[in-house]
Amino acid sequence: MSGVKLDNIVKAYGEIEVVHGINLEVQEKEFVVLVGPSGCGKSTTLRMIAGLEEITDGELKIDDRLVNRVAPKDRDVAMVFQNYALYPHLNVAENIAFGLRIRKESKEAIEKSVSEVGEILGLTPYLQRRPADLSGGQRQRVAMGRAIVRRPKVFLFDEPLSNLDAKLRTQMRAEIKRLHKRLGATSVYVTHDQVEAMTLADRIVVMNAGVIEQIGTPMEVFMNPVNTFVAGFIGSPPMNQVKAVIQKRQGSSELHAKIGDDLVKLPETLPIEDGQEVILGIRPEHLSLNPDASSTSIPISLDLVETLGSEALLHATLNETPIIAKTETQGDIDHLWEVTEVHAPVSLIKLFDAQTGLAIREKSGS
Amino acid sequence: MAMNMNLYSRGDKIFAIATSILIGLFTAATLYPFIYIAAVSFSGGFAAAAGKVVITPIDTTLAAYKYVLTQSKFWISYGNTFIYTIGGTIVSLLIIIPGAYALSRPQLIGRRFWNLFVAFTLWFNAGLIPFFLNMRDLGLLDSYIGIIIGFAVNAFNLILLRNFFESLPQSFEEAARMDGANDFQILWKVYVPLSKPAIATITLFCIVSRWNGFFWAMVLLQSEEKIPLQVFLRHTIATLSDDHEFTATLTTQPFGVETVTAAIIVCSIIPVLIVYPFVQKYFEKGILLGGVKE
Repeated sequence: MSGVKLDNIVKAYGEIEVVHGINLEVQEKEFVVLVGPSGCGKSTTLRMIAGLEEITDGELKIDDRLVNRVAPKDRDVAMVFQNYALYPHLNVAENIAFGLRIRKESKEAIEKSVSEVGEILGLTPYLQRRPADLSGGQRQRVAMGRAIVRRPKVFLFDEPLSNLDAKLRTQMRAEIKRLHKRLGATSVYVTHDQVEAMTLADRIVVMNAGVIEQIGTPMEVFMNPVNTFVAGFIGSPPMNQVKAVIQKRQGSSELHAKIGDDLVKLPETLPIEDGQEVILGIRPEHLSLNPDASSTSIPISLDLVETLGSEALLHATLNETPIIAKTETQGDIDHLWEVTEVHAPVSLIKLFDAQTGLAIREKSGS
Repeated sequence: MAMNMNLYSRGDKIFAIATSILIGLFTAATLYPFIYIAAVSFSGGFAAAAGKVVITPIDTTLAAYKYVLTQSKFWISYGNTFIYTIGGTIVSLLIIIPGAYALSRPQLIGRRFWNLFVAFTLWFNAGLIPFFLNMRDLGLLDSYIGIIIGFAVNAFNLILLRNFFESLPQSFEEAARMDGANDFQILWKVYVPLSKPAIATITLFCIVSRWNGFFWAMVLLQSEEKIPLQVFLRHTIATLSDDHEFTATLTTQPFGVETVTAAIIVCSIIPVLIVYPFVQKYFEKGILLGGVKE
């Protein structure tokens, strides 16, 4: 099994610990994305897997083999760098072949591999060009070619798309996804872009300040963030978070969140107390302009309508906290200015503890 | 209303003109000795001795060259200069390139100390006599090897190349390492090709300093058959000026001390002039473009 297992991995530079004991198991053929704000330790973690950074404490296993003290070249991993790190003095074919040459593979084998990779990545017409004569997307592809030509057990990607413009990024994202489907290689991908994380990942690992906040499929992380950090990081725009106090009526099973003077209905199964301070979370996408039987209404005061074409973002405030609602425009946005309340499906409202920021989950079995 | 049509203020214009004049003066001051020496080497002995040569040769003759080029000692010393230059430059590069690479690596144990150790020699050295004694005790007096390895490492060149290596993006090394390259392969297959401009620069520095190397060659070498051209030049000047017999012949010869000296100098400049244009191209453009995205 070509999986990667991180067991209580710690990284410290002198006295300063930057990665605080993380645990992660990447399954064979899985595409795992480490995502988090800059400085969260995601790149350091990736570089520890690559062998470019020493592991201060904990165990790293690739393919069930302990590799803490194994040189990068003997770990059977390949990495795509953020800045591509293509050798400018070598042409595309030589760049791709570099690793194979170092490993002293036969000339025929190298030629065959290079032309195969060129074919896969659509680089065949450019094999004789130098990196300087390629576009950003082509360079990116060469960098990937250099990684896949060795058929490593594990692919590592260190923000490979962050130097591309938005359009190219979308295109290359799809290409990486396709490539992963085709090659089925175990991949660990680092990005600060949550859209990339959502679109590429089999599982997302959300990191913050050197710890893993949550591991889950994109939908799990999106729908059920474990804390306010994940709720605020994943999603674009992120989840709205508003301070509220729980109101529970004696003799009634109904639960409400009191925001200022307004009451918002909550799922009845949440394990909360009357008077408890919480943070109410609701995704902008889940706020709708039309009420239905299962929704609760939230009064807002609108201050800005942002048009994205097919959708519009309503920037408003709820008890002085800014919130955003995302709605479809159907070609007309003028009527959106008249909105005074939005509706949230009760089941999609999330609650977080006001002190710890942790999600308050429904009682199991109910 | 006065309008400045070409976007430069009066001060800028004056500055530009003054700069051009200064550069012109410097160029003339640097170039003139070359022209003068060349002119003297083609002039008649009397005219040169009388100080009549200014820019163009007077009483043009090739007599001085004939005299120089027929001396076997000239050719021996010329050959020696080539040996010292080529051998010395190769040895210097073989030491400086790996040395600079090692000093540029963050993982080098005691890196600060080693760097300081090298930089120290930029400002302090043992001095002339201790160095001479050291060479003597090592048995390196009057030997080709002594000249070649005794001056192989130049701290300035080492630091120059180290700085260049340090300026290369770390990801080149990391990518090569992931590809399975060891330090030697990273150095020769990645860093050296990427550092052509810097290596060309230090190569030229080495060549020029070796070619012109005079003082230590004079001090350390005794055998006439081992001396380089610069030392031969000095010997020639000394012997010709002291040689009464030679002075006596001056009335009958079309060359003199000055023209012979100038001819040797011209002969010694030519190879450097030939090498320079080949190295020059590396100074002009970097080759880093495109490899990494900044």
